[in-house]
Amino acid sequence: MNWGMNMADEETELDHLFAQARTARDVLPDALAVRIETDAEAVRLARSAPKARRVWRQWIALIGGWQGMGGLVAASAAGVWIGFSAPTFLPDPVDYFALSETTYLLADLNLDETYLEDAE
Amino acid sequence: MRGGGDTVPEPSDEMLLGRFADGDATAARLLTERLGPRSYSVALRMLGNRAEAEDVTQEAMMRLWKMAPDWVSGQAQLSTWLYRVTLNLCVDLRRRKRPDALENVAEPADGAASVVDRMQDAARKDALQAALDQLPDRQRQAVVLRHIEELSNPEIAGIMDISVEAVESLTARGKRALAAILAGRRDELGYEHG
Repeated sequence: MNWGMNMADEETELDHLFAQARTARDVLPDALAVRIETDAEAVRLARSAPKARRVWRQWIALIGGWQGMGGLVAASAAGVWIGFSAPTFLPDPVDYFALSETTYLLADLNLDETYLEDAE
Repeated sequence: MRGGGDTVPEPSDEMLLGRFADGDATAARLLTERLGPRSYSVALRMLGNRAEAEDVTQEAMMRLWKMAPDWVSGQAQLSTWLYRVTLNLCVDLRRRKRPDALENVAEPADGAASVVDRMQDAARKDALQAALDQLPDRQRQAVVLRHIEELSNPEIAGIMDISVEAVESLTARGKRALAAILAGRRDELGYEHG
């Protein structure tokens, strides 16, 4: 390099410029410090969220995130809807249990005759 | 402005990060005072723009907060990690957008200095920044870390992930280039010809 002077002087002047630059090295603007500390607090609070909320988030993640959760809700809603408003071509399972018109009585079983036949 | 160079020598940065990960809000303030100025100083010299340097520093520190629970003790110096993140963010930003100006780089002048002296000081700082901006990225990083941050060559090698010899080469070439760039501004900067 050549500033019109010898190498030692050149080094000295460059070092002088570096020294001037270092005068502001350890200074952080207050507004920036506040921004940084606000970020830190937000991260800290998010990390210390109630455990129940974290468990809920983990459960949602387990079923595939919010997309999986949406699918689950849709499937559940469809099930409820089918239960209340089933298509006409499907048999109604309630008929098998509650609305049967046939009545069975114990007397119709002729238990006396059965016992008599065994005794003989 | 907050000074960070002479406060709270103990506990270590790593211990403070562990305390922050455990929910200690005070640790964040101490780490901000200790590490924030280093990140900001490097970002300012790498970018030559205060607003961008502030954004980069905030982002680097945000990454520090987020990775706190995952920090493996003894894997590296926390400051080395932060310098590396800061430099990478600066390189990314410079690739996306070239620095527009050097307008905000001059530091507040000493009130006791004369007007001429203050103008000359500001000119010298601007001149150094203008010259730094003309260096290739790696040379500028090495020169800033060595001569402004005053880090050791092995520490710079760790930050830049290169050998110590490569650091010495980069800083030497960087200084030569700076001197050549500044040669034409000697009179303007108040340096007399010898």
